[in-house]
Amino acid sequence: MKATSAELQTRVKDLFEDGTISHFIGYETGSDSLRVAPCFLEGSQEIGRLVWNPVCANNLAKYLLDFKNVPGRVGIMVKGCDSRSVVELLKENQIDRDRVFIVGVPCSGIVDREKLLQVMGISPTQVVAVQDEGDSFLVTLTDGEQRVDKEKVLRDECLVCRYPNPPVYDVLTGETVSRLPWVGDDYSMVKEQEALSLEEKATYWNRELSQCIRCYACRNICPVCTCSECIFDKKAPRWISKANDLSENLVYHLIRAFHVAGRCVDCGECERACPMNIPLRRLNKKVEKDMLELFNYTAGIDVEQQPPLTTYRVDDLDEFM
Amino acid sequence: MLDALAQAYDLIAPVQGNNISFRRVESGSEVTLDYINPMLSAKSTFFPQTETLFRFSRDDSEEFGIEPAREPGRSQVIFGIRACDARSLRLMDMVFDGQHKDSYYLDRRKNTTLMGLACFDYLETCFCPTFGIDPASGEDVDILFSDVGDRFLVEAFTEKGTALLERFAEFFAELRGDEEQLREGRKAGLAGMKRLDVKGIADKMAQLYEGPYWDDIGTRCLGCGICTYLCPTCHCFDIADVSLDEGGERFRCWDSCMFPEFTLMVSGENPRPNQKARVQQRFFHKLKYFHDRNNELACVGCGRCVRHCPVNIDIAQIIDDVSSGKAGNE
Repeated sequence: MKATSAELQTRVKDLFEDGTISHFIGYETGSDSLRVAPCFLEGSQEIGRLVWNPVCANNLAKYLLDFKNVPGRVGIMVKGCDSRSVVELLKENQIDRDRVFIVGVPCSGIVDREKLLQVMGISPTQVVAVQDEGDSFLVTLTDGEQRVDKEKVLRDECLVCRYPNPPVYDVLTGETVSRLPWVGDDYSMVKEQEALSLEEKATYWNRELSQCIRCYACRNICPVCTCSECIFDKKAPRWISKANDLSENLVYHLIRAFHVAGRCVDCGECERACPMNIPLRRLNKKVEKDMLELFNYTAGIDVEQQPPLTTYRVDDLDEFM
Repeated sequence: MLDALAQAYDLIAPVQGNNISFRRVESGSEVTLDYINPMLSAKSTFFPQTETLFRFSRDDSEEFGIEPAREPGRSQVIFGIRACDARSLRLMDMVFDGQHKDSYYLDRRKNTTLMGLACFDYLETCFCPTFGIDPASGEDVDILFSDVGDRFLVEAFTEKGTALLERFAEFFAELRGDEEQLREGRKAGLAGMKRLDVKGIADKMAQLYEGPYWDDIGTRCLGCGICTYLCPTCHCFDIADVSLDEGGERFRCWDSCMFPEFTLMVSGENPRPNQKARVQQRFFHKLKYFHDRNNELACVGCGRCVRHCPVNIDIAQIIDDVSSGKAGNE
């Protein structure tokens, strides 16, 4: 059984009422039926606001940082990928495990808004609801229902997701999901990139990154970007100019990609947030693949596992030395 | 016609890249007409994201030289601008052509002819009628193109527009007489557009400075610059120098009230210490402070911030909450 909004509401209401949590971070319906907004509850009075459906894209783990100093215990709902970011936050001691209560929701894929609108040839105002039906979504429209294959309308990261079930949780709402049938080669797009010549890579990334407007949405939405002062914001010394040009943009994006090495869980939030449609996951996935090949390491699985880039081992690979 | 315009002027028009944005084009074939509103507004044509103000140099005698970085003002034409973006320029004029004259901006404004494209369709996030904008009108442009099916109805509204149409007269044919009627017919596509109540909103905002309404929005906001950078009326900037041994330049670039360092003082004090304060500033600027100064609201209902905010902070919803009194009751 897939978790429903009602089931989630009951679960969270109980958590408030038995004193387990003082706050809850979840989703509520957004401006239309294909959008949700993060919502923050301080009690069970407004429990009816909470929703869980296949458009709940946001990775809410980032908000745990905002509740670090709030007295009480904060509850949060997490999909597989979101839970993996919580694992990373725990590893880095960004949050205290005892002060977080994790409601896991197994997830079998999130709708890509633009893909859905395009494939179905509809406007968002026509959509009433989207329901998960296994290999397809049942889309309720203002004038009837339509079924659409998940493979055609899932977010890109969901098409290669190997962790639909949260690895870390306190309670699970809904049944666990078995391996998603559509999951293909995680790294096919990285391999395409690796096959390019240096010049082709430069042409590709110069074209993409020259479009960046440096709104920093990719950084701000990233659940593992946790520095209280980012070097890109530092005034003195200024490591990167505020001027928007390709060379500064390159520095920004490369440092960002390296900084999430071994920490990125491919939740895809950076790419979802980017208003300029820059394919940021291509950078992240390359770094993820390198981490796997060099250190046999995958981020966000086990809180006890030490991140390779923050540990020292005598037998470390040092072929670049 | 666009080819001829691109020869005679710097032509800026909607181009399909990763998304549709206004860009300088060399020929008409680069231009797309398949859009309701480009992702980025035409703001950067007049107020570029990064702009060199002047260059400075130092020679062996340690003497400084300053040289202006102004390009000689070649005339430019923007094709395909929508009514909301055209109105936003009138609002930006109030800032850059107000008490202080910004010659960088004003030179470009003077040298630019605006060719509007009437809207007969809208996105779910559009709400320009809220601000008295008729999306099918040419109120703030020099020339308006209205697609009436098999041809465009072309009208000039200013001397600049009339002069340009005369210069390119070879591309235009006589009216067949039914164009107005066809246009009225196409306006049916605009029925159902969102029109919010903004009457007295500046005064209502004043009552809301304190109060819990902004708490949730402040927590939700990630502090990125999408809303301000995509906004056609946001105009805040920063000025900085790049200096090397032999010289350097002073540039200005877009800045955003969403960023913590926007108000960070040299002492370390920050008068807007949290995201709630910053988010509040953005909405107060749009719906109150700009109105106090210029008697206009600093929003044109283009919906870009609504469409692209990754956490669904929706200015239309906020306007609705403030107008209906819901915001005050929370």
